[in-house]
Amino acid sequence: MNWFCFVWTVLFSMVWQCPAAPSTPSPTAPGSTAQDEVECPSNCVLLIYSNRSTSEAQDPLVMTSTELNPDHYEAQRAAHAVRYYLNTLYGTPFRQLSFSKVHQARTEDLGEAGMKYLLEISVKDSLNKSSEKLCSAEVVYPRGETQQPPKVQISCAASLQLNTSAEEEDFYKRYSAADSAVSGKDIPDSYGHVDPEMVPFWKLAGVASTFIMLNESNENTLYNLAQVAKITQLESQNGQLRLEYVVLLHDMISQVIIIACITTSDD
Amino acid sequence: MILLWEAKMKGLLVLLAVSVAVFAKESFVGDQVLRITAKSETELVLLKELSQLEHLKLDFWTEPVEESLPVDIRVPFHSLQPVRAFLAYHEIHYNIMIEDLQALVDMEQREMINTRAPEPRSTDDFDYANYHTLSEINSFIDLLVRENPNLVSKVVIGQSYEGRALNVLKFSTGANRPGLWIDTGIHSREWVTQASGTWFAKKIVTGYGTDAALTAILDKFDIFLEIVTNPDGFQYTHSSNRMWRKTRKPNSGSSCVGVDPNRNWDAGFGGSGSSNSPCSETYRGPYAHSEPEVKAIVDFVKSHGNLKAFVSIHSYSQMLLYPYGYTRTPCKDQAELHELAKKAVTDLKSLYGTSYKYGSIITTIYQASGGTIDWTYDQGIKYSYTFELRDTGLYGFLLPARQIIPTAEETWLALMAIMEHTKNNS
Repeated sequence: MNWFCFVWTVLFSMVWQCPAAPSTPSPTAPGSTAQDEVECPSNCVLLIYSNRSTSEAQDPLVMTSTELNPDHYEAQRAAHAVRYYLNTLYGTPFRQLSFSKVHQARTEDLGEAGMKYLLEISVKDSLNKSSEKLCSAEVVYPRGETQQPPKVQISCAASLQLNTSAEEEDFYKRYSAADSAVSGKDIPDSYGHVDPEMVPFWKLAGVASTFIMLNESNENTLYNLAQVAKITQLESQNGQLRLEYVVLLHDMISQVIIIACITTSDD
Repeated sequence: MILLWEAKMKGLLVLLAVSVAVFAKESFVGDQVLRITAKSETELVLLKELSQLEHLKLDFWTEPVEESLPVDIRVPFHSLQPVRAFLAYHEIHYNIMIEDLQALVDMEQREMINTRAPEPRSTDDFDYANYHTLSEINSFIDLLVRENPNLVSKVVIGQSYEGRALNVLKFSTGANRPGLWIDTGIHSREWVTQASGTWFAKKIVTGYGTDAALTAILDKFDIFLEIVTNPDGFQYTHSSNRMWRKTRKPNSGSSCVGVDPNRNWDAGFGGSGSSNSPCSETYRGPYAHSEPEVKAIVDFVKSHGNLKAFVSIHSYSQMLLYPYGYTRTPCKDQAELHELAKKAVTDLKSLYGTSYKYGSIITTIYQASGGTIDWTYDQGIKYSYTFELRDTGLYGFLLPARQIIPTAEETWLALMAIMEHTKNNS
């Protein structure tokens, strides 16, 4: 195994929209109505994302390039898509990327090809809290009836690349030992508490979730990780750390809590 | 004596189950505990044989040792059928000691958690840096009124769907005053808001007479504070689903429960910033003000007739918002409300550096039809604002308890800015 080139992969993720708790308890089975009893994928219905059409469809006679207020929701949602994208590339249990501010934003209507957002944003790196990078980013949301992920590009990608840290190596070494059997649920708990030992697993869930959040993003969504419902360590194959997560994602626009199952494995 | 022993044993056994549950994180859903007292040597042998059947995964809490001593067996749900069949076939009598072990374990766990601290005997002892249950907050409300009878009274403005009192604290230093309204917890999962509400309540009583600005406000206005605006939902977030948002009223013709109380107001009701599906988190309800929690406030506002400011508090996103949510048409006081919002968030930021965005609902966050402050604004309450408190998504609804007081403190500065401006302009 190569400890110096750590790239973990999200092996499998499926998204289901489940009622966060069934409204009427199932009378016969010993199943419970509590949200922490979710099993993937048995009691979830596969979500067919139908919430795509935007009520602000562009009038074809309007100019193709429109300046946006960078603090308003259109630019903000696109900036979040950039955030997800950055974390799929560079996020780790010990490093997360976000943005502090959108300075400028405009759209370009590409017609059939979709809607392009051009942003100037300040990117924050959790490893280097004191300095922020001003980056240019582009988000293209495809048009169509079914959900397709936006395509994202960012100018400062190369400068964000870092080597695997000692912290990451220690983490993976420690938990990929044969007898390691990490498990947990409700992280954070109802009171916002996260056990210090579970923090990297929580952060890892957040980074893994960005794959799904990017995949499910469109102009009418804004996702955050609401909670890790469950985490189970799977049997280590070839000394890899393999984890199975059930995560709750919150979409700010529809206010829905989505349940997603993710398996992660370091490479 | 035997009864006492049995009770103690049961207690011990349950304790064992609880500790096993807590440390092993195992599930006992559907499991039962059967008690068998073997009446003959034959029965004893049969019980011993039963204990050898590994695939049944029976958990003998007491071993079959001799007749007349009861044998307690935890039988996993999936083994109940064969075990009962075995016992019936051999005519071995048994009692069901525990019908659903998981239910018992859950109840005990809840009790353990709930006996965290003894009930506070004064609002000085109340733990503002922690989240509380509905009954703890209601006790707090009664305590606050008892301690400050000349300043605070409790007004019950109605009942929730499930029959819970809708309690509003009234802070008043004189009769026939215009009023300022604050509500928290209309969306039940937004726990930092109810927690902040209790802090605001205490802040008002300690500040009157000592804080010049607050005293000046209270000498001119009554303050109304509804801390748990959606008590049914709040109770549900404690008992069943921490992520519950809506009311708990069933919807006819649907298995989905609840209406979004912030889409149920008669302002742009039914518009596209809300859903007509009962299963949606933004379900508007069958008609405007269908929810008793909303109707109670509507009736209160109308009968009071003299409210000058109305602030409805949510989380999360760190925003201060003014009307409208249902239309892009700017409200007629947009310029003033925008300036005041700017001042309020500047004051808020001065304490801990927390950054807030501000603007109208529809431009800043999303289109929302049938929202609270659109209705109150259209009733003539000019200074209508909605807050979205901390944070911006890292913890979201599950904001750590240690952030409650800092959040409440900084938000209070923004509230003071709004209340002062209202006082100076009414």
